[in-house]
Amino acid sequence: MSATGRCVLVTGASGGVGRGIALACGASGWDVWIAARREVEGAAVADEVTAAGGRGRAIVCDVGDEESVRALLDAIAGAAGRLDGLVHNATSGRSSQSGPITDVTVADLEDHVRVATRGLYLVARAAFPLLAAARGSVVVTTSEAALEGKRLLAAYAMVKAQQRAMVSVLAREWGPAGVRVNAVAPLAGSPAMARAFVSDPTMEARVMRRIPLGRLGDATDDIGVAVRFLLGDDARFVTGQTLMIDGGSAAVS
Amino acid sequence: MPTTFIGTGSADAGTLALALGAAPSATSPEPPAAATWDWDWRGLLTGWRSEVAALPAADQVVVCTWPDPAPRVELLELGPVRWRREVEWPTALWFTTLAVATGRCRDGGAIVVVVDRPAPLDAPGHGAAVTVGDGVVNLVRSLAATEGGRGVRVNAVLSARPVAPRDLAGSPTPLTTSPGRVDVEIAGAVRMLLSDDGAGLTGTVLPATGGHP
Repeated sequence: MSATGRCVLVTGASGGVGRGIALACGASGWDVWIAARREVEGAAVADEVTAAGGRGRAIVCDVGDEESVRALLDAIAGAAGRLDGLVHNATSGRSSQSGPITDVTVADLEDHVRVATRGLYLVARAAFPLLAAARGSVVVTTSEAALEGKRLLAAYAMVKAQQRAMVSVLAREWGPAGVRVNAVAPLAGSPAMARAFVSDPTMEARVMRRIPLGRLGDATDDIGVAVRFLLGDDARFVTGQTLMIDGGSAAVS
Repeated sequence: MPTTFIGTGSADAGTLALALGAAPSATSPEPPAAATWDWDWRGLLTGWRSEVAALPAADQVVVCTWPDPAPRVELLELGPVRWRREVEWPTALWFTTLAVATGRCRDGGAIVVVVDRPAPLDAPGHGAAVTVGDGVVNLVRSLAATEGGRGVRVNAVLSARPVAPRDLAGSPTPLTTSPGRVDVEIAGAVRMLLSDDGAGLTGTVLPATGGHP
């Protein structure tokens, strides 16, 4: 256990925004469990967390698989004995594939649901006993697409809205146990965003035009620190909210 | 004006179709009673997609997603099989339905999707309905952006049928008629959005819930 005694789990943390969140938590000296399907990349991020001042641990996990999730939480319970925070950041590898809704196959949709929605359901349920014992905090990485829909990312926007719905429900259901549940809607430079810009060549100009601060967010210094706030005691009276970390892009909040 | 009505086989969906003067054009399939956690629904969805795609084109399309009421249960207690039936299946069903049904609406027409979505204060115990409902509502927003170019409006009407009056949380509902009668309050909201009175509305969500927050 790190000197601060805080232990958090970040899913989908082998790169991009998840990596940024893990590094921001590591910089505060926290124990950070990196859960990802990509073993090598996850281990590399764990090393970065340790180098940043925390203690990184990597574990391979498929969040859409109940057994894999159970093994993940068993490992944390066995090694750390506690869990103060859970960040569900994992998202489908197809998230950045843009196209008309009629081109979305059943397999595409199932993959979105499996990682974003089912993944949150499985990980949150499995983590609840540890989170309740620690009066911990859950943060879900959703998107501005969850609030306004997306013309060419209909499946992604749908499951991101479902995540926000689950946050609103869990905040009310778990509040009495002292567990807070919030969401963030980041707009960050990441490999997924880069792929989306390639997938839809007009997207980059559209995205950048609507950001008053004139840039994409940094995964660690803009997004990670905001998530760390929601995980920490400074946010102890905040639950059921979606924090837009998007440079002012979203027209709704 | 003929209306294509696509909905569940629930009694309330039938009442809504009748109130709108529309014969149900297609009734959505139900999961098999023995559906398990790893139930493969692709065959069922493929058949349903074909059925909806074969519907005649219309100027007005109503999609009513109301399921039969399910017992109130917190998400932590909702087991995997119920999760699969009450969240993942309707998500796949209504995504597939709307993807195809939108194409059955003629240029310049209107689509209204009717969704159960308990208010945030009433959300505990209704996690499945809230999750499905918010997903469908956001799909409506995506489709409104897609279809606007050909003059098709896409909107949603929210209902709160799963919440029994005794379970309402927070301040009293402004209208004592909440959650509203299907054939009066909810049908009225649908009619408005289908009509020329709603010509400037697309991507909107109209809660026909008596003002309950």
